[in-house]
Amino acid sequence: MYEEPYRWIEAVANRRQYLDDQFTQGNPLVVVSFTQGILLLTFNRGTEKVYEIYDRIALGGMGHPADLEKLRYALLDMAHVEGFQRSPADVTVSRLMKNGLAPVIKQAFEEIFKAPYIAKILLAEVGATQDRDRLFNINYDGMFEEQREFGLLAASASIRSLLTQEWKNLSPLSSLRSAMEVSLRLWGIASYLQTSTPSTDTEEQGSTSLPATSMSTIPDDTAIVSRIRETLSKETLECVLLDRESGRMETYRTLSQSELQSFIPSVFQPAT
Amino acid sequence: MGQQGDFLHVLREHGYAVDNLCQPFNGGASPGHTDITTGTTVFALKYVDGVLVAGDRRATAGNVVMYDRTDKVLELDRFSVLAIAGVPATAFEMARILEHSFKYYRRSQLQDLSFEGKLRALSTLLKSNAPAALAGTGTVAPIFAGYDQLEGCGKIFFYDILGAEFEAVEYAVSGSGSSTIRGILFYMNRWGGGPVAGMNEEDALTFVLRLMTSAAEFDSATGGVDAQAQLYPVVKRISAEGVRTFPAERLKLLFSEKVLNHV
Repeated sequence: MYEEPYRWIEAVANRRQYLDDQFTQGNPLVVVSFTQGILLLTFNRGTEKVYEIYDRIALGGMGHPADLEKLRYALLDMAHVEGFQRSPADVTVSRLMKNGLAPVIKQAFEEIFKAPYIAKILLAEVGATQDRDRLFNINYDGMFEEQREFGLLAASASIRSLLTQEWKNLSPLSSLRSAMEVSLRLWGIASYLQTSTPSTDTEEQGSTSLPATSMSTIPDDTAIVSRIRETLSKETLECVLLDRESGRMETYRTLSQSELQSFIPSVFQPAT
Repeated sequence: MGQQGDFLHVLREHGYAVDNLCQPFNGGASPGHTDITTGTTVFALKYVDGVLVAGDRRATAGNVVMYDRTDKVLELDRFSVLAIAGVPATAFEMARILEHSFKYYRRSQLQDLSFEGKLRALSTLLKSNAPAALAGTGTVAPIFAGYDQLEGCGKIFFYDILGAEFEAVEYAVSGSGSSTIRGILFYMNRWGGGPVAGMNEEDALTFVLRLMTSAAEFDSATGGVDAQAQLYPVVKRISAEGVRTFPAERLKLLFSEKVLNHV
């Protein structure tokens, strides 16, 4: 029944709706580039969302864990074979995204008789200097875009554009502490908007010409603080630093829980 | 699949000849007549804080010195090193494969490859390389040294060219200059006023420089120390904090104070 073009378009639209629904319950993921490196921040309910791909490259994911695993393996294979056969310097997020991830995700999305990947992925690459940091964001349909200094995985495109605006007020950041504070705050805003905006606000609509501010606005401070406090008490904060100053080939470091405790501003700490 | 974290498997899928790193030449000259670079001295010894691994820096082909700044003590990851003796082309390739295998395993399986697992990986490579080893075109007899985090101690293993694995109690030597220092190590351990494993860092490092100088004295293929050219052996330390390379300045100071002047 999908042979007719109209049917096919309808099927793809259904698929978008289905996928958009899947992400509304997901945890947003915030990525910021600052002087010392790149920080990736999210919360999890048991399954990690941030992974090491190569010496200077990390992956942040949102979606179904099994799909993320599959895609993570594809990236690991590609990165390590390339790094081994050519050189670690030839493994870049730009190539991983354009030649590796995007075609696979797009194909799975458009083959309407098969299941699509329920995954949104952000790839971050730390450079020798901050202007060489690279962030790439890919949606479940295979659309990807490069982002500068700030990256976000969230349920809808409108949240993404709203937070990109907000980020401009909060940057630049000069220390890991300030990167943590700002990322946590941005995460709080994204998480709040994701659960409070009407379900009609989807990837599809957000990416059309509708201005982001017409969909939603930044919530007030008390709402953000209570959202973060609530999540801190229920879920695990997950933070990874791609450390430009590690002095080693490998830059990926998961911040320990005790380290995180010292970085979380007291206003967000759950009341005891 | 590669879901087990096996990088060799992934490489094979991409058409890389992992099982035939160095093909024996068909109908070529016999090993005795080919000028293959093999001269070397590498060794590892235990001391109070862990393990010291050292290698000279000369690469030779027959009686020709090819290069005087080779690094034969290669860091595979934060806690292990491979000191290579044998045909450099094959040895460097093995080190590269191992380095990537360990990384790939850690990143895909989200845990470090165990110390035993690392040893197995090296054995497997050496075994698959046996035909080339026997033909003489791909002979490699390395020393593997690392810190076993499960047991909390440094360990040394050495291999024959077919991949048999032996754990060294106190020290291991390999390469053309090794027979000289093997004798010295045996003597020092027995009658040298206490086992080498009880030495502190300063004494052990001095001892390492003296051993390398002795090896170079009797083996033309071993580089030894060339203070004029600022050329010192590569010496690495493996301890609970990981692998660290001693800077040339430290070796230079020790060499002029305690090796050159026969204190």
